[in-house]
Amino acid sequence: MTDPLTELLRRRDGPLTRDLVLEPGRFGLGRVPARLQPDDAVEMVCGYCSTGCSLKVHLRQGEAINLTPAPDYPVNLGMACPKGWEALTPLRAPDRATVPLRRNAAGKPEPVDWETALRTFCGRFKELLDRHGPEAVAFLSTGQIVTEEMAFLGVLTRCGLGIEHGDSNTRQCMATSAVAYKQSFGFDAPPYTYADFEASDVLVFVGSNLCIAHPILWQRVLRNPHSPEIIVIDPRRTETAMAATQHLALAPKSDLVLFYGTARALIELGAVDRAFVKAHTTGFDEFARFVQPFTPERVCAETRLSRETFDRFVGSVARGRRVSFWWTMGVNQGHESTRTAQAIINLALMTGNIGRPGTGPNSITGQCNAMGSRLFANITSLVGGHDFADPGQRQKVAAALDLPETRLPRQPCHAYDQILQGIDEGRVKGLWMIATNTAHSWIDQAEARRRLSRLEFLVVQDMYHSTDSARLAHLVLPAAGWGEKTGTFINSERRLGLVKKVARAPGQALSDFRIFQLIAHHWGCGEMFRAWSSPEAVFDLLRRVSRGQPCDISGIRDYAHLEACGGVQWPHALPADGGDPRCEAPARERRLFADGRFFTPDQRARFLFAPPRPMPEPTDAEYPLLLLTGRGSSAQWHTQTRTGKSDVLRKLHAPDAYAEINPADARRLGIADQKPMVIRSRRGTVRALAVVTPTVQPGHLFMPMHYAETNVLTRAEFDPYSRQPSYKACAVSARPA
Amino acid sequence: MSSTAPLPGYSLIDRLLDEQRSLSAVERFSRAHDRHEIPAMARHYRDLIPLSAPGPGEQYAFEVDLDACSGCKACVTACHSRNGLDEHETWRDVGLLIGGPERQPLQQTVTTACHHCVEPGCASGCPTLAYDKDAATGIVRHLDDQCIGCQYCLWKCPYEVPKYSAARGIVRKCDMCYGRLTAGEAPACVQACPNGAIAIRILRAADAAACFDNTGEAAEASRPWLPDSPAPHFTKPTTRYLTAQKWPSNTRAGDHFKIVPQPPHWPLVALLLLTQAAVGVLAGDLADRWADRPGQPLPPLLALILTAAGLVASVCHLGRPGQGWRALLGWRRSWLSREVLALGMFTGVTTLSAWANWRHTLWSPTAELTLAALSVTTGLFAVFCSAMVYADTPREFWCLRHTAGRFFGTVAVLGAAILFALSSLAGRSDIALKSPAIALSLATAIKLALEIRFLRNVEAGPNEPALSPLQRSALLLRQHVGPRARARVAFAVLGGLLLPALWLMGAAGVWIPATALGLCLAAELIERHLFFVAAIPAKMPGGL
Repeated sequence: MTDPLTELLRRRDGPLTRDLVLEPGRFGLGRVPARLQPDDAVEMVCGYCSTGCSLKVHLRQGEAINLTPAPDYPVNLGMACPKGWEALTPLRAPDRATVPLRRNAAGKPEPVDWETALRTFCGRFKELLDRHGPEAVAFLSTGQIVTEEMAFLGVLTRCGLGIEHGDSNTRQCMATSAVAYKQSFGFDAPPYTYADFEASDVLVFVGSNLCIAHPILWQRVLRNPHSPEIIVIDPRRTETAMAATQHLALAPKSDLVLFYGTARALIELGAVDRAFVKAHTTGFDEFARFVQPFTPERVCAETRLSRETFDRFVGSVARGRRVSFWWTMGVNQGHESTRTAQAIINLALMTGNIGRPGTGPNSITGQCNAMGSRLFANITSLVGGHDFADPGQRQKVAAALDLPETRLPRQPCHAYDQILQGIDEGRVKGLWMIATNTAHSWIDQAEARRRLSRLEFLVVQDMYHSTDSARLAHLVLPAAGWGEKTGTFINSERRLGLVKKVARAPGQALSDFRIFQLIAHHWGCGEMFRAWSSPEAVFDLLRRVSRGQPCDISGIRDYAHLEACGGVQWPHALPADGGDPRCEAPARERRLFADGRFFTPDQRARFLFAPPRPMPEPTDAEYPLLLLTGRGSSAQWHTQTRTGKSDVLRKLHAPDAYAEINPADARRLGIADQKPMVIRSRRGTVRALAVVTPTVQPGHLFMPMHYAETNVLTRAEFDPYSRQPSYKACAVSARPA
Repeated sequence: MSSTAPLPGYSLIDRLLDEQRSLSAVERFSRAHDRHEIPAMARHYRDLIPLSAPGPGEQYAFEVDLDACSGCKACVTACHSRNGLDEHETWRDVGLLIGGPERQPLQQTVTTACHHCVEPGCASGCPTLAYDKDAATGIVRHLDDQCIGCQYCLWKCPYEVPKYSAARGIVRKCDMCYGRLTAGEAPACVQACPNGAIAIRILRAADAAACFDNTGEAAEASRPWLPDSPAPHFTKPTTRYLTAQKWPSNTRAGDHFKIVPQPPHWPLVALLLLTQAAVGVLAGDLADRWADRPGQPLPPLLALILTAAGLVASVCHLGRPGQGWRALLGWRRSWLSREVLALGMFTGVTTLSAWANWRHTLWSPTAELTLAALSVTTGLFAVFCSAMVYADTPREFWCLRHTAGRFFGTVAVLGAAILFALSSLAGRSDIALKSPAIALSLATAIKLALEIRFLRNVEAGPNEPALSPLQRSALLLRQHVGPRARARVAFAVLGGLLLPALWLMGAAGVWIPATALGLCLAAELIERHLFFVAAIPAKMPGGL
């Protein structure tokens, strides 16, 4: 194309060119940028969502320089979502907390050394506890730290520091599933394994935008070789609804009616697995009588689904041989969420869709270690899912943890909302917040912030000094994050996986585990936690505690064994003869209840149900639109304290708060696409960019939860059993800004 | 940053801080033994890349199965990580298409990278020949060390593919993971898609080209291309977007109504205004001489100074000014090269002419006049080349009619305004001032009429089914930068129409031409600023 002289003047090599040159990499990586050639690699579980993908971290001299998804891990099969790909970036953010910060007399945060920080922590909290009793100080923790830290926190506070109450942000996402399973099955036990996505012939997704919330699990759905019927039940036409074969765009919070009506229709069709129901459940007859009034006419009227759509759905469930039901926050975050989750469980039980490949009423968890929190946080049950009131179990836990039985708490903690309400009632004076961002994430945010600002002493322990909550704190403790510490996570399918230390925490940031060690020492109860010397030592304690529980992990000898197995699902019990379980690595994919025996005393599952209640805040003339909330994109995580630190992730979602609105509503209200609008609820007023799209129904607005604006609008309403907030339905009005 | 704990010796805090600083993962879980060089993902992507290399007339191309894409966007981050790109740099982007009837709404994520076009616009525009359409693979590769950071390819590419890095001073782009593909490995994005939605296929370049040659509704409907995306005729992209669904007619990009002002490129504003003013001054001066009014030493010298200043400013635009000379290499196909050449010639001839003018005893009047005429001719040619630089991009706002109108208009307006002021300052006769005054009014009137007509022509309301790029430009000029656009008109009316008219009607005073010049300069400065700011490109569908 060009003459030789010109060709001579074209520079085909040089420093800029070499910057991008790829060369063969080891560790099965294929070609890697020469600049980023690793000298070693380790695999570890991702620290965002509960999918629990494994990431292969590329190391140079022990330090992470890049990562790629682990190709052989049974969960993600070499894939990761954008958050996982960018998991190292938030560790390098400039707003990392690097030293403890204490508010000075003028109210300005100033750096202090750890000694001072710990003295302040212990002094202030002890003073509050002495003056006002054990309820005066509470803690709010997270589903984002490792199980060993969760257990340490729960035991340290409730057995060591004499703090009565604490809760975790898993209350916001998983409390409903935990309670629903516990009541129906006798234990908080999601029964499935991810292989079930591939084995079903009918998959029903309820309030789950899997493609966005758990994109790597969608991969498993697409690998299903049975041309499955994929049914999505969601008011919005989400990415997942787009990919479904049936979309039930029902009226928000009408799912309980839909499922009761479905149960009735299945009974009429004779699609009940009578043998299974008789052998393994109790309460079916009452349930069958209860659902009689839920006629198809009533269902269609209340859900606003067409009869054809409803019948097709019922027919698919009735005909399916391996039907699996999957739910997430659309179910869990509702005013009658526990009964809704149980309505799904009932459908699986009555059709015998449980315990076999491709079946199950399956809750997909939110956070990377929500499952660890549910079992080992010592909040809603004694460590390891034990009963606070059962003397035998108390003795067992005390012995396993080498604690006096009398130090063990006697009842579950107050729930998150009750703790915050306690601030107003004068019960709670001091709060310790660990790796969560209440000032953004809690429902009815203005109220939550007002309450936090009333605290006499607020400690926030976080990776960043810049979170909405850290800005309110009297004391900020700098924490190391995922990748800077060791421990285990438990994913949605009950799989334990390892987190490893591949990056140096900045400045004086310490792992939450080490911060707990320091607090124990400075509080004066270090002796009690002498055995809690390292995450692996605590893992060993938890193994012993779990012995004989449904979540028995005693068969996992240590971290090395867990690593060698490539993650292990619970239960994995030590063989009765004490043999070396290492020889019998558990199967890679295992599910519960294959024998039809549940964890209730009579080993039968329960049919639980209650009449539907109307939505707490229906729309009216003043607030005519219903606000739905949810995840915005796969590149955003919760309040964005981490994902917001990655330039690349920021490119993958809208920069500022937006609200999706139907074109008909937009026309009527004079709202233009990409123009700001003002949204008002009884709690507050916010501005958001309008996104005009037919994927939301007329009469609805949708706002992603990642923007602080959203919870200014939401209404503090809770499910009575799980006390999980109902984020997904409140009345608002909208107008152009 | 060690702890200042007053505890004696080595405290627990010290110990835990030390432990925190040690990295334990390697000792315990190293995979160093696992040094296999066979890519572990090969079994996943085996079917997603061709078994053999392209034959003659064939090339590699991306194929995107939209029905398998569920919007996870992992492709973007995988490309970023596996290629070791800068923190903010992405070679692949994702967007959203929304549409459909209310009962069956549609949303579709679309992933886009370089389309490795059959006729790549980047390559045809690059003044340094930094783009190579690889003969064996058809991959459009960028020679990073050849790039001078002029960013012309950002305008030439209809798909926003080349990405400029201010820190590096160059452009970089997707090379379809050339190094991987030619070694039998799949590109990063192909490896990373959980749903196998991105594949590399071999296609005949002629077929890729032909599929965009036919126009008409039927041909467009069957095309493996996206709605609300740049027309593919210009560069003949090779990426094929496959889907079983029919695109509803109201399908539009998620960012369709998002109107974003474009970078102002001040150095280029300076280059264009200064060189065009220079040509204008010389042209007016030539007219003077033609009319047998004596030439003055000042205008050619002034023109030279203006041109030199413009050229210096333009170099500031480059990411790697030291490598600027490479811009001459592409003269066979790049209008930017030609602009550089023409401006160089213009500078040369004008220097000669200015010198001749200064020492005109040495030159015959004919030679001097010829030289002046030659200077104006090369100047006008350079202005034409400047206009072609913009007209040769897919940005409709910069079509030749608009651009040439503006550029030659500036030649007239600024040339006349400067001569008007110069003549007045030099105390020259009324006749010598009259012609620039008239020229200034005429040129201003025509220019303003064209600009205002553009604004009127392309009105559109929000939420209309679609906005064309020209409508976006007009909306931007009316709304987002409305005050600036109105100031431009006000200054031009005052300085280019009212003041010259006042003077022509007999008002006296040196302040009139001087103020007119100031106002005209301000007006043209804003005009040229808006020329860049409002040039909204067509682009691949963006997100929310």
